[in-house]
Amino acid sequence: MNSLPFERRLEILADSAKYDVSCSSSGSNRRGAPGGVGSTTSAGVCHTWTADGRCISLLKILLTNACIFDCAYCVNRRSNDIPRAAFTPDEVVRLTMDFYRRNYIEGLFLSTGVTRSADHTMEQLIAVVRKLREEERFNGYVHLKVVPGADPLLVAEAGRYADRVSINIELPTRRSLALLAPDKPREAVIAPMRQVSDLIASARAERKKSRKAPPFAPAGQSTQLIVGATPESDREIITLSEGLYRRLDMKRVYYSAFVPGSDDRRLPALPTPPLLREHRLYQADWLLRFYGFAAHELLDEDRPNLDMGFDPKSDWAVRHLDLFPVEVNLVDYEVLLRVPGIGVRSAQRIVAARRHARLGEAELKRLGVVLKRARYFLTAGGRYLGGIRLDGAGLVARLLAPEKRPARLDQLELFPAHADASALTGEL
Amino acid sequence: MTACYRYDGTFEGFLCALAACRESGGAEAEFLRPGAESGAGLFAAGSLDVATERETALRFRERFVTAVSREAFATLRYAFHSEAAGVEQLVWRYVALGLKKGRQVQRMLAQEPVCSVHRLSRRVAHEAHRFTGFVRFREVAWPADGELGGEAGRDRPEVPLMYARIEPDADILPFIAPYFRERLGDRPWMIHDLRRSALALCDRGTWRLVGGVSLAGRPDYTAGEEVCSRLWRSYFQHMAIPERHNPRLQQSLVPLRFRAHLVEFGGEE
Repeated sequence: MNSLPFERRLEILADSAKYDVSCSSSGSNRRGAPGGVGSTTSAGVCHTWTADGRCISLLKILLTNACIFDCAYCVNRRSNDIPRAAFTPDEVVRLTMDFYRRNYIEGLFLSTGVTRSADHTMEQLIAVVRKLREEERFNGYVHLKVVPGADPLLVAEAGRYADRVSINIELPTRRSLALLAPDKPREAVIAPMRQVSDLIASARAERKKSRKAPPFAPAGQSTQLIVGATPESDREIITLSEGLYRRLDMKRVYYSAFVPGSDDRRLPALPTPPLLREHRLYQADWLLRFYGFAAHELLDEDRPNLDMGFDPKSDWAVRHLDLFPVEVNLVDYEVLLRVPGIGVRSAQRIVAARRHARLGEAELKRLGVVLKRARYFLTAGGRYLGGIRLDGAGLVARLLAPEKRPARLDQLELFPAHADASALTGEL
Repeated sequence: MTACYRYDGTFEGFLCALAACRESGGAEAEFLRPGAESGAGLFAAGSLDVATERETALRFRERFVTAVSREAFATLRYAFHSEAAGVEQLVWRYVALGLKKGRQVQRMLAQEPVCSVHRLSRRVAHEAHRFTGFVRFREVAWPADGELGGEAGRDRPEVPLMYARIEPDADILPFIAPYFRERLGDRPWMIHDLRRSALALCDRGTWRLVGGVSLAGRPDYTAGEEVCSRLWRSYFQHMAIPERHNPRLQQSLVPLRFRAHLVEFGGEE
């Protein structure tokens, strides 16, 4: 496995890592220790974008793509006939430093196939990050995968070196996990998640008492799940995410449209990955985290799936027309956030500006508020901006009309790069 | 009559011009960088050359920060570096309003000149942020002994020099230089703004700006540099998922005008 030339192994291990969605380098704000190399910024930085439009922020790589597990959805499953390769910890460290110095990347995202045992694999990952921090004095961002089933002591050690740790939940329900990942019991995923969540909370409490207390995964933990490989509804997925955010204080849940890569009979036959569904789930996820929506407001038993023609906020607003229109000069910030087309930045600007001047349509435009959708739900100084009657059918037609979708459904821009307000708006 | 202030084109110089204008109590004013012609024509008073003095600039900044706020000063600084036509007049009106109204200027977002200054400022801040990701350093070999001449050659550090080229729309070097000093503090480096012939230079933890720079020849990249950029290109290509191919999205995120200096897009081959 290690006899292949370095460049070839890099190709293999990058290929095997690309389906892991997590890309962010945000949330950590450590100053570089003097004499060291690198730092992190809380806003995160994207360095480039691949031909599929996904950002590259970190060197996302596997230590090895050999794996003793046989998860049906995974490209690295034992039964898959692909070339295998491995890096030594030293090689990963050197590559990370070389790439970082040239400003190709923000840091390292290290994952791996499971070899020998969960503990052995976890030790290998920790060896890399320890070398980076202690020998190279590297202060940049490091995201480390936790191997399900690894010893709690190793999990604790990983979080002392890394900015973020993550354990992939992969599938929304126990039933699906048992079907597609028979080697990965749900407890092996949930138990370390809970442990990480507790360790983050207690490290945060210690840091409040003393600045010298060691941080634990200061950028929090994240997870990802695969969409479309199993029959779960959007409601099941969004409710699960809500629980992960509220109960485990998860920083991010990533959704990955299933890319069919095997003819395993347990998997559905999909012509293309469900990219639009993935996009709608991210929109709903944003509503949970930054707009004060609850999962049950977006989806319920009668409507278990998100509307594919309509973004979830517009969809919600159209079902609650009795609450609209609202007066832009009067209503609370929380209500403004619920107006389709008004985002966190616009709402903040409106709240600041209206303390000084009464806002009409011209003022809203000057603030940079995009009124395309918002106008149907707003009055400004008592004047309704929509120009049509606020009844169901006509409104939906108007809302949908300008958004002519291309024939091919492309992945939309999820992570625009912006300066420092990102911590508030959720942009990365 | 419109008073006309000629300054050296730097932000510090501009602050001195603002201070001078403020002192003479002028309401109508025009600010000219080197080479710029007055637009006031017949109504122009004789132009006044303003000397750039660090003390004056610092005092003026202090005065504005006390009267308004640190954030408002940061906003106008970003806006100034947009180099947009007429930005000096715009910032001048913003400063005058700020000194009159105090802190509440930051909330007057729906009014001119505040909203225009904020818009420019956001654009520059956004571009500076983009370039924290888009700068690509390359390892350059130091010229062999003797080539640099006696004085310069003597104090040569052991580690290689990191060199980067950029062509941003706005003058963002002053914003990104401190950022890279923190990151790459253990190496000497320079970022070369080709469009403005300016250079941010950093050595041993301190950085400075140098203007009017041009290269005598092509930089001499090290052997390690060639290997590393090849690995990066290959890595970049292998990260794309063919089933999700979406070049239009890619182009909106990495506009073509930046690609000439990005290794992974074949820049500088």
